[in-house]
Amino acid sequence: MSSETWDGDDESAAGRFVPLYVLVNGRTAPRDSTLDLATQVVALTVDTRRLEPEYLEIVRRCSGWISVAEIGAYLRLPLAIAKVMVDVLVEQGYLAVGTPAQQKIIDKHLLDQVIAGLERL
Amino acid sequence: MDRTSVKVVVAGGFGTGKTTLVASVSEIPPLTTEEILTEASLGVDDTTGVEGKTTTTVALDFGRITISPDVVLYLFGTPGQDRFWFMWDELAQGAVGAIVLVDTRRLDSSFPAVDYFERRGIPFITAVNRFFGECAYTEDEIRGALELDERVPLVWCDARDRESGKLALITLVRHAMARLRVRA
Repeated sequence: MSSETWDGDDESAAGRFVPLYVLVNGRTAPRDSTLDLATQVVALTVDTRRLEPEYLEIVRRCSGWISVAEIGAYLRLPLAIAKVMVDVLVEQGYLAVGTPAQQKIIDKHLLDQVIAGLERL
Repeated sequence: MDRTSVKVVVAGGFGTGKTTLVASVSEIPPLTTEEILTEASLGVDDTTGVEGKTTTTVALDFGRITISPDVVLYLFGTPGQDRFWFMWDELAQGAVGAIVLVDTRRLDSSFPAVDYFERRGIPFITAVNRFFGECAYTEDEIRGALELDERVPLVWCDARDRESGKLALITLVRHAMARLRVRA
């Protein structure tokens, strides 16, 4: 590929520069099985200099709480990949995890809060 | 430091207005995220080996509503095609419940969704989308056609209207709470 024709986009129709399975070391499922599409994560203040650019991009997106689904949508990563990458970052101490929906679903207080919030909309 | 996610599934047959409903209540324009599926995950026998595997992309639309500083509600629309059931399992896992949208021109297109949530014991309500004009059916006729249990709430809505979407969501959460009380 000559330098004139490269448009700086590694995700063109020809494919990503780094295959997705390489980024996740061939993992297909997160180790933390409670990690859900709706689970939110947030970046912890740690040294990110050793992170691969693709991982760094995720950590940068997480300056405020954000869900796995949103990370996938904004960074155009398939969900399964986003989930595994987030899981790796959590495991290595770069991200903190919020409470997944399913753990609090039987919590009446939470549902009360949701109704009150919806009524305020 | 904690942040809780609450999940609601918006289901229904193809073209019933799922994305429209998500858009009308979401605080952000709906986002789309993709899942890549191999033939194996679609339940098709794959005899060709890895290099012959074909992949399909399923798009999921979702929106969000901030409930309070530490609670965010995520609304996920189910993929349009019924064959992606395994995605439904992922969406329904841990959800408060589901809103099944019904298009009165094609009542039967929402039957698989009703059946899905009923079988799994997931709280759901039905929302009849009036967007398509005057409804030719009565509530009883719609309940009959969808074989709805009498305890499943049915609301009339216009998926384009925010108030209408809000009402459907509130009805769902109240229904989910009422079921908690019954079980407790």
